[in-house]
Amino acid sequence: MYPFTYHRPASLDDAKARLSASEDGRPLAGGMSLLPTMRFRLTSCADLVDLNGIEALAGIERGDGHVRIGAMTRHAAVVESPEVGEAIPALAALAGSIGDVQVRNRGTIGGSICFADPAADYPAGLLGLGATVNTDRRAIAADDFFTGLYETALEDGEIVVSVDFPVPARAGWAKFGNQASRFAVVAVMVSLSGGSVRLAVTGARSHVFRVPEMEQALAGDFSAEAMDGIAVSSEGLNEDLHADKDYRAHLIGVMAKRAVRDALAQ
Amino acid sequence: MTRERHYIPESRQREKPKSKYFAIGHSMKRVEDTRLLTGSGTYADDVSLPNMAHAAVLRSPHAHARIVSIDKSKAEALPGVLCVMTGAEAAEVTGPCADFSSPPTTQHCIAVDKVRHVGETVAAVVAESRYIAEDACELIEVEYDPLPAVVDLEEAVTSTGDAVLHPERGDTNVAHHRVIDFGTVDEDFAQADLVIERRLRWPRSGGTPIETVGATAHYDRGTGKFTIHANTSMYNYVGWLIAVSLKVEPHRLNIVPTDAGGSFGSKLFCHKVCTLAGTLARAAGRPVKYLEDRIDNMTSGDAHGSDRVYDAKLALKRDGTMLSMRLKVIDDYGAYFQYGVGQHGNAMAQVTGPYKINSVQVDLTAVFTNKCQQGAYRGFGSEVGNFVIERLVDAACEELDIDPIEMRRQNLIEQDQFPYIMPTGNMYDSGNYQAVLDEALGMIDYDGWRQKQAEAREEGRYIGIGISTCQERSVFSATEFWMWNPNETPGFTLSSSPESVSVNIDPTGKAFITLNAPFWGNSPETMAVQVLAEKLEMDPSDISVGYADSDKGFNSSGPGGSRFTVMIAGAVSGAADVIKEKMLRVASHMLEADPSDLEFRNGSIGVQGVPGKEKTLAEVALHAHYFRLDLPEDHDLTSGIDAAYVYDHPVTTMPSEDRTDLGIFYPIVGHMCHIPVVEVDVETGKVDFLDYVAVHDCGTMVNPMTLAGHVRGGTVNGIGSALYEHFHYDENGQLQNALLSDYLHPTPMETPVDIRVGHVETPSPFTEYGIKGGGEGGRMGAPPAIAAAVEDALKPLGVKVDSLPLTPKVLRGMIREAEANGG
Repeated sequence: MYPFTYHRPASLDDAKARLSASEDGRPLAGGMSLLPTMRFRLTSCADLVDLNGIEALAGIERGDGHVRIGAMTRHAAVVESPEVGEAIPALAALAGSIGDVQVRNRGTIGGSICFADPAADYPAGLLGLGATVNTDRRAIAADDFFTGLYETALEDGEIVVSVDFPVPARAGWAKFGNQASRFAVVAVMVSLSGGSVRLAVTGARSHVFRVPEMEQALAGDFSAEAMDGIAVSSEGLNEDLHADKDYRAHLIGVMAKRAVRDALAQ
Repeated sequence: MTRERHYIPESRQREKPKSKYFAIGHSMKRVEDTRLLTGSGTYADDVSLPNMAHAAVLRSPHAHARIVSIDKSKAEALPGVLCVMTGAEAAEVTGPCADFSSPPTTQHCIAVDKVRHVGETVAAVVAESRYIAEDACELIEVEYDPLPAVVDLEEAVTSTGDAVLHPERGDTNVAHHRVIDFGTVDEDFAQADLVIERRLRWPRSGGTPIETVGATAHYDRGTGKFTIHANTSMYNYVGWLIAVSLKVEPHRLNIVPTDAGGSFGSKLFCHKVCTLAGTLARAAGRPVKYLEDRIDNMTSGDAHGSDRVYDAKLALKRDGTMLSMRLKVIDDYGAYFQYGVGQHGNAMAQVTGPYKINSVQVDLTAVFTNKCQQGAYRGFGSEVGNFVIERLVDAACEELDIDPIEMRRQNLIEQDQFPYIMPTGNMYDSGNYQAVLDEALGMIDYDGWRQKQAEAREEGRYIGIGISTCQERSVFSATEFWMWNPNETPGFTLSSSPESVSVNIDPTGKAFITLNAPFWGNSPETMAVQVLAEKLEMDPSDISVGYADSDKGFNSSGPGGSRFTVMIAGAVSGAADVIKEKMLRVASHMLEADPSDLEFRNGSIGVQGVPGKEKTLAEVALHAHYFRLDLPEDHDLTSGIDAAYVYDHPVTTMPSEDRTDLGIFYPIVGHMCHIPVVEVDVETGKVDFLDYVAVHDCGTMVNPMTLAGHVRGGTVNGIGSALYEHFHYDENGQLQNALLSDYLHPTPMETPVDIRVGHVETPSPFTEYGIKGGGEGGRMGAPPAIAAAVEDALKPLGVKVDSLPLTPKVLRGMIREAEANGG
């Protein structure tokens, strides 16, 4: 770790002021990804602005047709939330599949989507459910939020405040996780709202993506069998020690079907 | 001395197994728990000395390269840096690291001239803080001249020239090659109706404890003496070799043990880190702490495990009778050779398993490659042998269409055949293998699971049941380290492997035990307390335990090779006999009775048959400590009650000159049967456990609870070896998974909810109370059982398991291939 100045503001305005005053400032949420990369000296910053003291950023509330989750809400709170469990059980399942107990008690939804790890779970949750990201200055659709490997549409100093998840008719989550880290090797969130289907895959490319062929097939027939014969190309998929691209392509098909079965079981 | 072949020394057992014990056999809570669970342990990083500085190392980015130049000027100029040392500078004051190979293999604590694996230390920095030391490492400029990287173990056999790691040992990377026939191999194969052949691959994994290796060294210029605090073991056995490396006389090095935060074998000696810390402390003129970080430990911890390919053959009669084996093995030892082929000496202890196999040929080739060198890891090579023979037996069952259980029943050594001399000359002291098998089958409901398996297959689910019946050799003796060496270069042919202890009775009659081996993650204090409590019929809570440094310690090999419980029981028992004799003498004067008429009874010494006529241990102890003039004028009756005792290995013999008889070297042999039930998700390749039974016979159990903990922990360790763990080097010799985020361990989520443990007790006729070791057993039995279970699950697809680990990616690949072949 390289030296930095630690800040712990108590309000969003104070956090914004400190970030804008710094030439090289970074907000700190749960620290589950940022701190390890700093520890390994892969990342450094002059000012670390800790958002954990801003109470207004955490919390879950049921709105009209949606569930709003504050950026600093821990994964464990999402797992245990009656609002989420009732409205979007697949989202609670997603949160419950992240890391281990310690990670879920510490990590936050805002931290996860801002870090935009290619194998993080929440990006699939946002894209697969058609969520909207509310920042201190605007609302960004999930389709526009994730832009690349560890990259998002956020501008310098922009802070995520909350995420709005529309309540779907059905949604399902299926994940094949890495045994050590619990990061997704491949995970799929699928949702059905009205007649439209969203199916998002994480873990398989630089960033989360939808699979239009599968969505179209499911829009006509929301069943696992509707995707028979739809193969996702392995071209451009991630390769690492734990999975090569052909294995990942295969897993997308398997996990997509399991996600649909999960949605139908709820 | 020449002895007849297969000579078995007379048993030195003094304490026979009993039907009822005072303290042994009770599942008392661990003595260590309160200290460790309340954060009161002292681990390597908890050591802090006045004026202490901190070290960090610069690691080689190359697998194999000449060091052309090192510019350390920028690092030295960084404020807070005390000294920067290169290998050449270190070598001026410090000799090579301890090494047991023959001919010797030179390794320095900082590489000199050449680096031989990624992560090898190229330079070290001492600074006011670890942060500054790491900053300074980044400022050191090293110019390398890359050499060919040798990564593949079979290619290593033929490499020459620049690809040779240690040219002084010859123009080859073959570190060792020898073929030995143990028994009448050719004749036995000639009688065979069938020879099973399998090519089997055991992957490189390692102990990877949460706490890495660390040492804090202080060099006293006034006395010329080093003090090194470290999480090492064997410091009272071969720790003096670190003094040799530091070029001081052994009495000028005191090694102080810290608690070890896990080892699994990997901290057996840790000589390199101790040598490095000592070298830096002397150079800096300050106490220096060096603690490996995770990458240091994974890339350069000197403790990778076996990495072998076998061409293995098992000769049988048509009726399933096993006759003989031929094992051709290449083992990738990495860049250095600290224990020679000790891991293969070890495997010879039980190479033919629990079966009546008459002979075995072993063709052993050890090679150097540009990887971290091998060290000790739970099983020390024998776990691989168990995997190999069990895979061959399962293959034979398939070929001959014999049920795996019937095949084992037919070939297991019978109860009336012990002590049993197996083909390599090692002795199996005792056992009841059929009873272990019966117990395991009863616990798992074997027939019930076969029924469920058939039903599941109808539903398209793949459930498999595996079985392993394996040996669990315990109580190593030192001959295993050199028995493979050629006669012309025998090396250091040590044959002592003792354990020692001292016991002091305080003036109130309570006891303090000093161990001469460290806390290593096991339960050494609990074991010593239970045995002493048994001997003196003393309340275990009246006994406490400490650890001797090497200034005060006696010759003690320490834990390793599943020996500590057996050996400390021998040492404590011997010391307690001295104590008892002294207490009886004192009590006899106090009670005016002959010592032979006295007995220990529940905290007192009394006259046999005369209730009430007794003195408490406290009264006797107080008398012995402070009332000398009340006692007779016997010159050998001195004040106080203290004993030190060195217990030599209970039963060992020397190998024959030609090594066709390795002698008795690992004779206290337990047995186990593991039966996992798994389900394979054929779409993803993931393996889940539905049930798991592990039955072990470790002789008399000192503490069934801690033994069960060893069995469960070892089994999880074995699950890691079978399904997940693998140091993955790419073709350039780069370690791809030097962090625990990529080196996969089984976590509670990959572990059976309940590993159901059963016990059978067949006491050893050679050890005190009949105890056998059980520290490594789980890892020695789980991998072959899991391999068998996965193969059984995938039988409809025809998948064969010849290599580990069976990660989801690997297993899915095998399933895909089988499906493509119309499986």
